[in-house]
Amino acid sequence: MSVVRKGARATTVKVLSYVVLSLVAVVIVFPFVVAFSNSFKRADDIQRYPPSLVPRGPATREDPATGAQQDLYRFPDAEGEWAVVENGVSVSILADPDDPARTVTVLADAVEATGEKVVIDGEEKSLYLVEVDGQTVEWFRVRSTTGGLFESTDDPSVRRAALVLDATKVEEFAPRFANYGDVFNGKQLSRSLTNTAFVTILVVAGQVFTSILGGYAFARLRFKGRNALFLVYLGSVMIPFVVLIIPLYQFMVKLGWVDNLVALIVPFIFTAYGTFLMRQFFINIPEEIEEAALLDGASRWTILWRIFVPLARPAIATLCTFGFLYAWNSFVWPLVIINSGNKENLVLSLALSTLGGRGADSPSLVFAGVMIAMSAPVLVFLLAQRYFVENQATSGMK
Amino acid sequence: MTELLATTDVGVRAPAPERASDRPLRLLSLWHIAGVVACGVALWAVLSPSGQELPFVIRTTLLVFFLGAVVMHAVAAVGVPKVRRSARSLSLAVNYLVAVVAITTVINIVGIFQGFSDIAGGFAKGAWLLVVALVGVVWWWGANKARDNSTAARVLGIGGRILVYGSLAGLVVYGTIGWLGHLDPATSADTSWNGDVGKGVAELVDRLLDPVALGAIALAAASIFFFRVMWSPDMAIRFGTTNAQSEALNGWLFLSPNIIGFTIFFAGPLLFSLVISFFDWDSLGQTRDFEGFGNYLKILALDIAKTDAPGALASEVLKPGYLELMHLDWFGQHWLIGARDRVFWLSLRNILFFLVMAVPLSVLPALLLSTLLNSKLPGMRVFRAIYFIPSVAGVIAVSLIWGDLFNATVGWINYLLTRARDLLPFWSDATAPVQQPWLSDTGTALVSIVIVFSWMTFGFNTVLYLAGHQAIPKDLYEAAELDGANAWHRFKRITVPQLRNTTFYVVATTSILAMQLFDVVWVLTNPPGSPDNATQTPVLHLYNKGFQESQQGYASAVAWVLFVFIFGLTVVQFRRQQETAGV
Repeated sequence: MSVVRKGARATTVKVLSYVVLSLVAVVIVFPFVVAFSNSFKRADDIQRYPPSLVPRGPATREDPATGAQQDLYRFPDAEGEWAVVENGVSVSILADPDDPARTVTVLADAVEATGEKVVIDGEEKSLYLVEVDGQTVEWFRVRSTTGGLFESTDDPSVRRAALVLDATKVEEFAPRFANYGDVFNGKQLSRSLTNTAFVTILVVAGQVFTSILGGYAFARLRFKGRNALFLVYLGSVMIPFVVLIIPLYQFMVKLGWVDNLVALIVPFIFTAYGTFLMRQFFINIPEEIEEAALLDGASRWTILWRIFVPLARPAIATLCTFGFLYAWNSFVWPLVIINSGNKENLVLSLALSTLGGRGADSPSLVFAGVMIAMSAPVLVFLLAQRYFVENQATSGMK
Repeated sequence: MTELLATTDVGVRAPAPERASDRPLRLLSLWHIAGVVACGVALWAVLSPSGQELPFVIRTTLLVFFLGAVVMHAVAAVGVPKVRRSARSLSLAVNYLVAVVAITTVINIVGIFQGFSDIAGGFAKGAWLLVVALVGVVWWWGANKARDNSTAARVLGIGGRILVYGSLAGLVVYGTIGWLGHLDPATSADTSWNGDVGKGVAELVDRLLDPVALGAIALAAASIFFFRVMWSPDMAIRFGTTNAQSEALNGWLFLSPNIIGFTIFFAGPLLFSLVISFFDWDSLGQTRDFEGFGNYLKILALDIAKTDAPGALASEVLKPGYLELMHLDWFGQHWLIGARDRVFWLSLRNILFFLVMAVPLSVLPALLLSTLLNSKLPGMRVFRAIYFIPSVAGVIAVSLIWGDLFNATVGWINYLLTRARDLLPFWSDATAPVQQPWLSDTGTALVSIVIVFSWMTFGFNTVLYLAGHQAIPKDLYEAAELDGANAWHRFKRITVPQLRNTTFYVVATTSILAMQLFDVVWVLTNPPGSPDNATQTPVLHLYNKGFQESQQGYASAVAWVLFVFIFGLTVVQFRRQQETAGV
């Protein structure tokens, strides 16, 4: 009996777990879904209320006569879809003198004045002949304005004049893939993408190189002051980058590296985290391997690169992943160093920030840019997941 | 080892036979003498009029360096012929350092540093090679995975390798062309990616033929050569270097890139930051007035005054220079508190509120969810990956997305709230759509930032907690279950205490991150810190002071004050964790 009950209990717990986890997953994923759908919307579609996840655009048809694209509309008082054949035509709105609430919209030059007048609210109004519901009546003109000439898609002979306001646009699922192209053609994003790739590759390569060397030295080579130096390195991790921004900037000014991509690379080739990572890994490699190679007369350099490094692939992969994400997503330091007016030296985070700042002009481009910017780190993360997750996890235990 | 005594009738000792290491030794000794001269020449070059064009800091550093190099070469010149053990280390050190400085000088003269955006331009043109490299990587990886030695695997492996190395080489070529194309100053107006390479090569040759460049190249080449000579095993034996010393030399050599970078780009700037904070220093380093603790006083100064009229103005009641910060009613008296740096104190208030809201919101859900994720149920990996994505997607992208969600009129947050409110009639009778201006209302702006921050960091924390779970022994849970403890009990009595260390780490890192809040606010508020300083943060204040108002000394002081806060907070958390761990 208790087994059955336990089973039922366990199942409810399981189901509940999945429910909670899924709800949280929805909360996490939803903003990305919104961004994804927004990246395919037209500019006016993004400002629509209520918001929708489906990119929509006006439905159009091709005019059989001219081949031009015409917007399609619907009227509340008529069936079917109507295409705008002509825009900006003069229309008159006529009302029934007996019931001024009843109105009809006609082409201005399609009606004739009868010559008679009627007094409405103390004003004299001319009467016009117009056909309403099959009957010819004399109605007065409320006002003239501009509207459109609509043609029914079902029956091209049926046409009506109307104000565009009185009709609702027909919409269809219309993703605009050109958004992505436009963002690239704006030049800034494509150049900032390659700049970021350039900077990231160099930073990661540098970090891997110095960390392997340094990690090996700390792990395997004994020298006076090694432990003290290691403690200093350890302590350096406690210092937040904030404190270094100002002096590093001054240093870059003195070197003439302001507004130059060098400043994004050279100061970051050295990393205490990376050195720790490699040290932790190298410490765990058995000493016998090294001793055997030393007896064979191998130099330390050979031992490091021929023996230790191939063994350390997971750690190096982790280092690369971390370095990539750090360099790709960094924002504060590039913001400080790179002149915002400089189009050639922008990195992705800066370009995106500028794009977003001008969001009012081109909201759809912003989201295309966001999707492009996000795709690289997310892709790298998904591919290198196990390195990232496992290592972040174990480092927390120290 | 021992000298042979050749006996002659007179009993004179014949000179010791020539050893293989004698000639290199002599060369080294000569080199060190030459090195004294060479570094002396370099010293003179830095002191000369053309050297005075260098920025003060660079010039002073080079002066000190070459002076030291002269001394080191001199001592080595004395010690090397006498085969003193310490002379070997000295010789190696001076050759290494001089080589590094000389090479850096050449790189600078040749204009690689200055031309980096041109190199980037060339790289941009050749970026398609990255795709080729990617294909190569996939092939290579595939060949590795196959593990068998079939022809397909081998071809794939070799092909992959060719693609990767080839595209890297190609990128180097593109970059070089871009650099050379714009090397000649006449081509600076040329906007094409490859400018005029011919002129660039001519310019390069021209620069290399400059006496300073030639001297530096010669110095570098000689230093490297003699470094290698001294490093050789023969010299090691000759100087009597023990294995332990050999190991130590290797250690320093391997660590040297790290140490050099650490000193130049971390330790140096750190000290400099402290020094600047005692000055009134502008961003170009033109104004430099010593202020002592003046900056710190200005940041932290508060003034409290009693007033009878609640509407009293700060200018009447407080000391001059103090702006109104807040009103208090204490002990029946009305007080007015003023500060000299009002914005700093507001930012401090904001960041403390932010901490109190954001840290629990980032940590508690992570704790709970990690417990759920810790089961063996299928699909946990997928959830884990999903939760982690906000942490890696990039702050700017994430902030822009949330900025749109928070839009008062057409944003999803308000829309969803409207729908929820309509579905739950007891909530409110209002019918108009919810149009809460999240980011422009002083009450809700900070809350919006809290939401974004927590959303971004909680997935990361979940993974940290997951690892902590792995360390909890399973038998604790089993024993509790046998005793009849239910899931909540097990969570409260076992999981939470066992995760104490992880909790400390998570809370500490999240707090440190939270206290440095900058980019989220920068993107979401316009101007940053609005409305009315409701989202002002210390780092934002630092940025404004340092880069908008050009008061870098003051900004450095702000950075150090913030650092003291961060450090203090971490220490407090650490102490608490130690105390509760002792229970």
